Amino acid sequence: MTNDPILELRQVRKVFPEQGRQEAVVALDGLDLILNAGEFVAIVGASGSGKSTLVDLVAGFTQPTSGTVTVKGKPVRAPGPDRVVVFQDHAVFPWYTALDNVAYGLRRQGMRRRRARERAREALCQVGLQDFAHAYPAALSGGMRQRVALARALVLRPDILLLDEPFASLDAVMRSRLQDELTGLWRQFGWTVLFVTHILTEAVYLADRVVVLDRPPSGLRAIERIGLPRPRNRLDARLAEQTEELRARMGGSLDTFNGETQAGQRQRQEERYYA
Amino acid sequence: MSPAGKKENRSRLIGYSLGAWIFGIGLWQAVAWTVTAARGVPFPTPWECVTVVWEMAHGTVFLEYTIYHHTLVSLARWAEGFGIGLATGLAYALLAGGWVPVRRVTMPTVEVLQVIPGLAWIPVAILLFGLNQTATVAIIALTTFPALAIAGVMGVRSVDSHYVRAGRMCGAGPCALLATVFLPGALPHLLSGLRIALGAAWRVLVAAEMIVGSGDGLGYAIIQSRWTMDYASAFACIAIIAAFGLGMERVLLLPLERRTVEHWGMSHDQ
Repeated sequence: MTNDPILELRQVRKVFPEQGRQEAVVALDGLDLILNAGEFVAIVGASGSGKSTLVDLVAGFTQPTSGTVTVKGKPVRAPGPDRVVVFQDHAVFPWYTALDNVAYGLRRQGMRRRRARERAREALCQVGLQDFAHAYPAALSGGMRQRVALARALVLRPDILLLDEPFASLDAVMRSRLQDELTGLWRQFGWTVLFVTHILTEAVYLADRVVVLDRPPSGLRAIERIGLPRPRNRLDARLAEQTEELRARMGGSLDTFNGETQAGQRQRQEERYYA
Repeated sequence: MSPAGKKENRSRLIGYSLGAWIFGIGLWQAVAWTVTAARGVPFPTPWECVTVVWEMAHGTVFLEYTIYHHTLVSLARWAEGFGIGLATGLAYALLAGGWVPVRRVTMPTVEVLQVIPGLAWIPVAILLFGLNQTATVAIIALTTFPALAIAGVMGVRSVDSHYVRAGRMCGAGPCALLATVFLPGALPHLLSGLRIALGAAWRVLVAAEMIVGSGDGLGYAIIQSRWTMDYASAFACIAIIAAFGLGMERVLLLPLERRTVEHWGMSHDQ
């Protein structure tokens, strides 16, 4: 693991202009963040904290209103295979088989069909889907589709892997399985990972550093280093300790971030499951 | 499912399709008898049509040509007009679906084309191309185009933006995006458009042949049989048209649908 900065956000501000009756929304304001190569960073925040906007900016789907986003020193202008996203709703193409979905990016890079399929097969093996290469996504479960999306991303060997609440639509068992698979692959390949979630426990369990984001103007609330050794254990008392300590420091506001009590309750239940 | 259950299912299937045939043919027979009795004019019965079709199938010359010639000529016109409409409609849908200014400027005109009944194009086509084959083909193309274009544009616009983003981050350029994301993503809508266009093109072809005097083709044959009081032959031609119209949907569209959108879990009823 090197410590060179790979992603730098400097004074990033993103404003969505007013549309009809809807007023202009400031999603991010004055955000500074640096990711080092090989680092696993989790962004936690409620809806409206701008965490998805952050992913969009790094991916190049949108441009910052002001400030700069640079990857390896070069400003981000458009989406590209060096910064791939695993979306919450996976966005695996229903019209391609698992294998062709994974080979898709390689084919777009001009790789020959045979070679691309070979590489795609390897990637599917890595996520444990070797037996489902020729299945269409419609025939796969939610967890399997998310694995296809992960394979599609990692086959491109990106500089930065962006995960936007990738496990949010999965059940708790499947989620913890995929979390462990993800950290396993990450430890094996040493990518730089930016992982967005609304669950603090998940963030602390997975990441080297946890970034707590709040709605502007509060913005960046904390950057917490999680020094626990890997592989980590969900039952490790230090994990719960660090989570609670961080939650306490956030003034308990993490749970009721968006004021949606139901969502907060569900979140608590989810977290209790891990605790 | 047990083999017995399967067997029962199959016999039920046969029963229903038999019932459908008996209903359709029976209705025709009933109308024929009623008309013959009430108005005293001979209304061709299904059986008469079968015998006429049988004779035609053996190569009897009918209005200077065999029925094969009439059918093939009609099919060729249909294929040409439908092919032009399909190609231009698809190209337009991708262009206008992907590029907003094009859509906003041209879409109203296409929508106007859509509401003009196929037969209303006949004077326009004659004015443009004269009384000939080209006019017929043009009418078919003009009917096919808007149905596909509008369904296609709707389809392209309905493609989930996440798929577009996924395509772009994988390095797909505009052309690759059209071919690998927008086209398959628009397919459910395109198939609906195709279904409408298929039927409309076939109907308007027959009508156009009746009016834009071409000297052959199924539509021409129907209208000529009327003048010669050969109603049985006219009915035989109508039956052939119906068989082709239905057959095209079953042979071309249904397998395509099964192989694509149903397989992908993208059909509307899922």
